Amino acid sequence: MSTPRRFPIRTSLHYLLLTVVSLIIAFPLLFAISTSFMTPSESLSSPPNLFPSHFNLNSYHDALAVAPLGKFLLNSLIVSLAIVAGQLFTSALSAYAFAFLRFPGRNLLFYLFLTTMMIPWEVTLIPNYFTIKELGWLSTYQGLAAPFLATAFGTFLLRQFYMQIPRDLYEAAMLDGCGHWRFFLTVVVPLSRPALGTLSVYAFIQAWNMYLWPLLITNKTSMRTVQVGISMLQNEEQLAWNLVMAGVVLVLLPTVIMLIVGQKQLVKGLLSGAVKG
Amino acid sequence: MKAVVQPTETVTRMRPKARWRKRIQELLTATPFLVPSLFLFVLFFFYPLGKTIYLSFYLTNAKGVAKHYVGGSQYGELFTSADFLNSLWTTVVFVFLTVVPGILLALLLALLVEKPLRGMAFFRTLIVSPVTVSVATASTIGLLLFNPSISILTHGLSFFGVQDIAWLTDPFWAMIAVSLVTIWLGVGFHTILLLGGLQAIPTELLESATIDGAGYGKRLRHVVLPLLSPTLFFVLVVSVIGAFQSFGQINILTQGGPSRSTHVLVYSIYRDAFFNFQFGSASAQAIVLFVILLLLTILQFTVVERKVHYQ
Amino acid sequence: MKKVLLSGLLALTLGATTVLAGCSNSEEATTNENGVIEITLWHAMGGGPGKGLDAIVQAFNDSHDKIKVNSVYQGSYDDEFNKYKTAEGSDTAPAIMQVYDIGTRFMIDSEATVPVQKFVDADKYDMSDFEPNILNYYKMDGQLYSLPFNSSNPILYFNKTAFQEAGLDPNKPPKTWAEVEEYAQKLTKKGADGKPERYGMSMAIYGWFFEQYMANQGGLYANNGNGRKERATEAVFNKTEGTKFLDWWKKGVDAGYMGNFGRKTADTQAAFSAGKTAMFIDSTAVLRGLVDGAKDKFEVGTAELPKTEGAAGGVIIGGGSMWIMKDQPDAKQKAAWEFIKFVAEPKTQATWHTATGYFPIRTKAYEVQELKDFDAKYPQFQTAVSQLHNTKLTEATSGAVIGVFPEARATVETAIEDVLLGKKTTQQSLDDASKKVTDAIGKYNQLYKK
Repeated sequence: MSTPRRFPIRTSLHYLLLTVVSLIIAFPLLFAISTSFMTPSESLSSPPNLFPSHFNLNSYHDALAVAPLGKFLLNSLIVSLAIVAGQLFTSALSAYAFAFLRFPGRNLLFYLFLTTMMIPWEVTLIPNYFTIKELGWLSTYQGLAAPFLATAFGTFLLRQFYMQIPRDLYEAAMLDGCGHWRFFLTVVVPLSRPALGTLSVYAFIQAWNMYLWPLLITNKTSMRTVQVGISMLQNEEQLAWNLVMAGVVLVLLPTVIMLIVGQKQLVKGLLSGAVKG
Repeated sequence: MKAVVQPTETVTRMRPKARWRKRIQELLTATPFLVPSLFLFVLFFFYPLGKTIYLSFYLTNAKGVAKHYVGGSQYGELFTSADFLNSLWTTVVFVFLTVVPGILLALLLALLVEKPLRGMAFFRTLIVSPVTVSVATASTIGLLLFNPSISILTHGLSFFGVQDIAWLTDPFWAMIAVSLVTIWLGVGFHTILLLGGLQAIPTELLESATIDGAGYGKRLRHVVLPLLSPTLFFVLVVSVIGAFQSFGQINILTQGGPSRSTHVLVYSIYRDAFFNFQFGSASAQAIVLFVILLLLTILQFTVVERKVHYQ
Repeated sequence: MKKVLLSGLLALTLGATTVLAGCSNSEEATTNENGVIEITLWHAMGGGPGKGLDAIVQAFNDSHDKIKVNSVYQGSYDDEFNKYKTAEGSDTAPAIMQVYDIGTRFMIDSEATVPVQKFVDADKYDMSDFEPNILNYYKMDGQLYSLPFNSSNPILYFNKTAFQEAGLDPNKPPKTWAEVEEYAQKLTKKGADGKPERYGMSMAIYGWFFEQYMANQGGLYANNGNGRKERATEAVFNKTEGTKFLDWWKKGVDAGYMGNFGRKTADTQAAFSAGKTAMFIDSTAVLRGLVDGAKDKFEVGTAELPKTEGAAGGVIIGGGSMWIMKDQPDAKQKAAWEFIKFVAEPKTQATWHTATGYFPIRTKAYEVQELKDFDAKYPQFQTAVSQLHNTKLTEATSGAVIGVFPEARATVETAIEDVLLGKKTTQQSLDDASKKVTDAIGKYNQLYKK
């Protein structure tokens, strides 16, 4: 233990505070888990129960029978990964142009990119809906992902990072006759891995949590994402809270496991670049 | 290829014609790097922005086809409509209620879990656990926690002498409930960011402050917070934008009610567009939202960022 | 061409995702290789009714080897209806839509549907035993536009055990507003701290109840005979019928014997199941769920909607009907009609009634043994049926047809909240609401009136 135990009282108070605070913050999740093991009438009684009378897995069985949660998870995963891949691709490229190339109208274009950050998604929502509909992409993966494949945030984040790459490196590469693409692929991309990691995590969380867009453009049960699926489940089973919470727990499982397994990487990823932006 | 890669000083010394050719060449090099983003931006941001401005001058049918030109009357109607003004006010209240307490809470939590105590990883995981939760799941859990007849929260609070709180049926409490869900949703992510900011503060600085006799409070005010300000600023910008765009929790928990008490601007846009099918009026509101966010962003970057202490 | 270019470019940017898109499209195949016609049905039936409908679809698919119906739950009636408006004309649109009663005007105006009258005539389909009160709702200018499927009306639910506890006769439920008031006061139970542990009566803030009580008192919701003689141009629900009803409601809430559990009807149902309200008003459609849910806790009683002194009484037939979509090829439309006929069969209607509480749309269903046995066991299920038969058909009880009904309903709900929360007087609140609805009707008519 590296911390000196100079104030054992202070330390135990710290632990007490930590315990209370973590319980409060995690309470909604813990209560969701507890409710998922209740019987329907236990979950719907007044005064409410904090714990199930016994361990009961029926809700999970029923939730899976009502909604294809596995398919919802898969859909969310595919869409989120596609968005992450798209953003990495488009942002890494455009950031390179802004960081290393001196072309006419560069500043103007950069500001133009930045304005997209200020256009709230709702402003573009209605026309985008009709664009996707025109393309016949309602209820498809490409329709779910397409509007999110490029972000100014990503471009901005990566540009900031690229600018920290020593200028000498760039000039040396150019003098060596190494073209832009080779420099980009062999030097810039490998060097900016932490920033790319940050962007991936950020983009993934954003994509995974999308609600309004998938709600609007999915018409088929089989194409719903987790977020839409879970609110549909709640809509459908308004009086079966045990079942709805079982659905919630199942849907949370992948991200919770990700957090537990990858907490260090996640934290590191989020920290390496985002803050400097 | 060689011509492109000459050191920059040569560029300035070149004759105008050669310089022009050189710049064109740079542009050609830059084009493939920029086209993917640019194409998507034009298609999904600039074209829709133009279209939205256009639609805001028309009455549209349910298919979104502009039918009747009505000039600026939809903007006029907005600013005389009590409902719209209420939405604006509600949005301001909501942003304030979520951003300020949200950041303070995250800061406290980050300070709390920053100490390298034994078992801290466990507490950290619990405290940042809301990062795994999405709007839809959080709001679904919220529906149970704030349920009018079987709420465990209300029941629990009654032990502390707090009277029956009508979480979702009273205008005041509905706003609190929606804000609580929003703060909870953001707290994990914000704590992670602030924790990172804290860990990036060089320990020598803190140690020398301690040697100079500064207590915890003093260190916090004079060393930690100034050095943390870039991160705090980032969190501020992110959560203001997030608050303005909150939709899912409102759609699931209150649907803007009761009595329009949680009818924020974004919800109002959604409602007018995809429930009342008044795309024209919804577009006008969207443009107002755009202008507000634009002004706010400029404000944040010109006024607030000046107070930020960059290393 | 532009479209092709656009999608081509996008597809390039999408890279890998397009491959996945390929597989997602395969399930859209319209007719599969065995010559089976696949049609999609959109509906808004969750919970028990949802399972009931799925069973009907299953039974249909099992007995028809050339047609396959895929049912898709699209959320609440509002959600489903709004989703349809936006998806209209796309290849993911359905062949059959179950639409709520108040969507009727819009469905007709959208010109996206084929009136079922066309199939009725072509088939010489015998409808002599269909309930005239139900058919009437979906008939305009002598044409039947859609076939009713799930019909319901609101009834009073009460907790018989709580009645006994309060010294009330569980076989004599309240018949008038005054009696409800009296009963509710007796049924309200306060805890040691003075806050109610159980309310006597509750109503969800649901615009449908307001519409019902307008009709129950013979009041109109919109002008031009509720929009049935001619297209409505004005909302007229801010008359005495409306204010009287809201005044009665507010009085109860203020005095503390009526509970307010918000807009969601499910929340008021939950309150009833959890014993937090002894009486409440809701659609007959939730009867089965409530009876099952209360099985080991208390006995559920039902009664006709209590009315005010001097009111004519009667209810509007609520619920949903099945619409056939015009953009579908003939073969699919015919398949859709086959399904709709199956749904209307006496036997299907009998099963549907017992599974949910929706009442049969035709009298022949009452001859089905399954239904006879069931209603003998659960007499509560007859309340709605007798209420239906007791309703005299007038302009008021036929129900309003306006194109912006969903918006109007939501506006009224906000108006009710304003009243119950004491923000506005009943008159003021209803005046504001009806003005807003009139404006919306005006805009709508500008777009759709020919």
